[in-house]
Amino acid sequence: MNPTAIDLSTPLGLTLGLLPEVVLSIAVLVVLLIVAWRHGGPADSRLAGWASLVALGVTAAALAWIAGQAPDDPGIGQMVALDAFRFVGSALLLLFAAGSVLASLGYLERERLVAPEYYVLLLLATIGMLFMVNSQDLILVVLGLETMSVSVYVLAGYNRGNAYSSEAALKYFLIGSFAAGFLLYGIALTYGSAGTTNLVMIGAQFAHGSLPLMARLGLGFMLVGFCFKVAAVPFHNWAPDVYDGAPTPVTGFMATAVKTAGFVALARVLFTCFGANVPEWRPILGVLGVLSMVLGNVVALTQRSLKRMMAYSSIAHAGYLLAALWTGTPLGLSAMTFYLLGYGVTSIATFALLGALGRNGERDLDNSDIAGLAQGRPWMAAALAVCSLSLLGFPGTVGFMGKWYILSSLVSSGGGWLATILVLTSVVSAGYYLPMIMAMYMRPARAPLVFWDKALAGSARLAVAVAVLLILALGIVPTSALTLSDAAATSLAQTLGPVASGQ
Amino acid sequence: MQDFLLSLGYGQWILTALLVLPLVGIIPVALAPASRAKQVALAVTLVEFVVSLGLWWAFDPTDPLMQFSVDAAWLPAWGIHYTLGLDGLSLFMVLLSTGIMPLAVLASFSYITEREKLYYGLLLTLTTGMLGVFLALDMFLFYVMWELMLIPMYFIIGIWGGKNRLYAALKFFIYTMAGSLLMLVAIVVMMFKTFAITGAPTFSYEAFLQASHQMGDAAPWLFLAFALAFAIKVPLFPFHTWLPDAHVEAPTAGSVILASVLLKMGTYGFLRFAVPFFPEVALSPLVTGIVVTCAVIGIIYGALVALVQPDVKKLVAYSSVSHLGFVMLGIWAATQQSVQGALMIMIGHGLSTGALFLLIGMIYERRHTREIADYGGLARVVPVFSLIFVVTVLASAGLPGLNGFVGEFLVLLGSFGRYPWATGLATTGVIFAAAYLLWATQRILFNKLDKLENEHLHDLTPRELWVILPLVAGMIWMGLYPQPVLSRMDEAAKRYVQLVEPGFAPPATALTTPEARP
Repeated sequence: MNPTAIDLSTPLGLTLGLLPEVVLSIAVLVVLLIVAWRHGGPADSRLAGWASLVALGVTAAALAWIAGQAPDDPGIGQMVALDAFRFVGSALLLLFAAGSVLASLGYLERERLVAPEYYVLLLLATIGMLFMVNSQDLILVVLGLETMSVSVYVLAGYNRGNAYSSEAALKYFLIGSFAAGFLLYGIALTYGSAGTTNLVMIGAQFAHGSLPLMARLGLGFMLVGFCFKVAAVPFHNWAPDVYDGAPTPVTGFMATAVKTAGFVALARVLFTCFGANVPEWRPILGVLGVLSMVLGNVVALTQRSLKRMMAYSSIAHAGYLLAALWTGTPLGLSAMTFYLLGYGVTSIATFALLGALGRNGERDLDNSDIAGLAQGRPWMAAALAVCSLSLLGFPGTVGFMGKWYILSSLVSSGGGWLATILVLTSVVSAGYYLPMIMAMYMRPARAPLVFWDKALAGSARLAVAVAVLLILALGIVPTSALTLSDAAATSLAQTLGPVASGQ
Repeated sequence: MQDFLLSLGYGQWILTALLVLPLVGIIPVALAPASRAKQVALAVTLVEFVVSLGLWWAFDPTDPLMQFSVDAAWLPAWGIHYTLGLDGLSLFMVLLSTGIMPLAVLASFSYITEREKLYYGLLLTLTTGMLGVFLALDMFLFYVMWELMLIPMYFIIGIWGGKNRLYAALKFFIYTMAGSLLMLVAIVVMMFKTFAITGAPTFSYEAFLQASHQMGDAAPWLFLAFALAFAIKVPLFPFHTWLPDAHVEAPTAGSVILASVLLKMGTYGFLRFAVPFFPEVALSPLVTGIVVTCAVIGIIYGALVALVQPDVKKLVAYSSVSHLGFVMLGIWAATQQSVQGALMIMIGHGLSTGALFLLIGMIYERRHTREIADYGGLARVVPVFSLIFVVTVLASAGLPGLNGFVGEFLVLLGSFGRYPWATGLATTGVIFAAAYLLWATQRILFNKLDKLENEHLHDLTPRELWVILPLVAGMIWMGLYPQPVLSRMDEAAKRYVQLVEPGFAPPATALTTPEARP
């Protein structure tokens, strides 16, 4: 096939354009069939887990294939995008999903959650996310978002024996449906104003002059819906309880993949539909970003439970990402994409480590439980220390490169004040990341041999090792990842046309 | 010697080698058996020192610009390079750092008894970070190195420190980070402004220096961000509160490195970046008034607080605040003498305060107390120790013939023309310094030998002599014959004075700056 073979106006072309999604859907059915016959013991759960990894791998291959085939032309009036932004976003999602599967393998057995449907749900959620990322149409965004959300609701409550897990699922479900309602309402209003649900055509409608009131309301409601999903202040209230109650690998999945899907879809909607109206949505994102950074970091300081602290930290990181989106420039978009990679890789490893260190859902895992880890389990301590430093944004880690990139994008679009707030709140975050390192390295263990059974399972060890290597490698030579995120951002910004470049 | 070194291609590889060698040295430290880690670390730091010594001869004192430059692309799309260079400002900082490290390692031999591999690995990482700060000529690289040395120091204080170590480590980290992150924003802002002027993204120091005069309204804010980062590190009064905690809690080697090298990064930052970038802001009457006032308050306040400290380590820590005040005064006076004097104090303080911390550490290992009141009459028990202690104290107090005098004299001489009142007040600091140091010496070494525990202390071991004598030799040499040192910093000081000259224009305002009075 030659590089222009995918023509989205023919059924075959459309199928090819959705190849990763199609492949993953088929693979989910296969895994479901396997699970239908084999759902007895831990061995069957492991089998399902490895099968899901294979499914994700095949999907990644399909993604690589269409990324090589597809012209970098989003096409007008099509349902799905074929641009680098989608490919990079999908690649991130597959990476995080694979990391979550690896982190889950040993964890589920230890916590006696050996129902292999877990992996089916995780893959289903991934399909939903892939659609969120590829959709060029508001309807498809909702379909993807709902597919993802329903699966994640169930995953959050997967530990049925644990009241907190059930509470998390219920809370997530109620508030999540509410948020989906907002999103739908916003879409309806936008449709009412633009007369179409296709992102590119909406963008063409609003390319000149200021937004009509109805579209403005629609934009506002959609923002509310997305901000719920990415846990930005003031729509964050669910996050601490849900992150806390859900099984830890699921928390990691939510903090990485769900957040990535939310941000990528939000960025696409904002840039493609409202790319000409940056001044109108910019202040909103600015305010939400500042609130998230300040509240997330300050409240995280007061948390005792590490899992809860990470939930607030994840709110703060949503604030940094919103700040990158605030710029409304390709540079900011690129910074957001790169930061999602850095934050996701770091979080996957962090939650995998927390999962290995705690017991019974890790709700009461705090700094005193990891005291002395450096002597008991030096490699785990080193890995968690690297992760903390990366979350803090310390040079030598990918977190620093991401923060530097966001700062650059902010400064280049006149956001010096936002950059200042970002770094000042980062200093606050040192107040809760560093105590983790202090506990591990500078305090004695509570009792001898307290870590003898706190090892990472083999698969989680693989995920953590790869993640830590990525954190360090991308922290020193981020060139390739920066090039990718630049390409992604440019491809999305192209849909803006000449209008946006004037912004 | 110079010809021989240049024939080895010394100029091409030396700076990179200095950064890489300690990191490579971590490998044998990690592989060696735990009991041998210290010897391996000592060997690595000694090799590092010997290699760096060549700089003394290879350095061309007549060249005011950067020497031994290295340049390679790191993130070319962003104009980020790996650029290193050395001039008269950094030469002595580099030699001081590489010279202090073997002594710090040797001084830790008996003090550090657990997790030795981690400890020595961190010391070696710290070496790279410190040298990187002094050598980097790319602002991005500089920032990375500036932050990088935080981590090893944080661990060294936090793991091997005293009772209150966690608090001290966290305070040290957060203070430094708060300042430096704002500096990062300033660097990014300057990069984009330079970008707008030159048309190509760059983080190069020289390009920043060229463009820094066209920052417009942003200049005061940019200066503020740089100045805050450096003022915390110096530490300039009133940003000094982290210092006594960090110094007191750190293990001996940590205190030594903090005092000898880390504090100098602040004053180095002012000399290299903050003032030359924004001379108009830095030397404006308002900023001058504030900085010179803070420097003089620091000199006197540090000395007075040192006077009443019951803890000898805290006494030395506050004496640092006082000494560094002189350096700040010299930097802001910006005359040839005052700048050379500031540099001399930076070196001299590194030698004498480092030596004081080492001596305190040695006596602490014998008695496990730092309270001055617990000592008395040691001169009769440990005469060698006492002799060296007295020499070091006199050097620190600025006795002619020892290193402290040269720097303080030059600073006072060079600053008097600009800030007569401030300089006059600063002079009292010299008197106070003599007071607190000599009083402490009297209470520790002389007085009556009335504590039973003090009667059977053993004198310095050969290892301890090896630690302390090189510093004593340095103090005497720099006090008696500072000419080779001064001649090597001549051109760099001249260049600094030239760079900041616009800040004093129009000359009428510079000569009548009565606001500078504290």
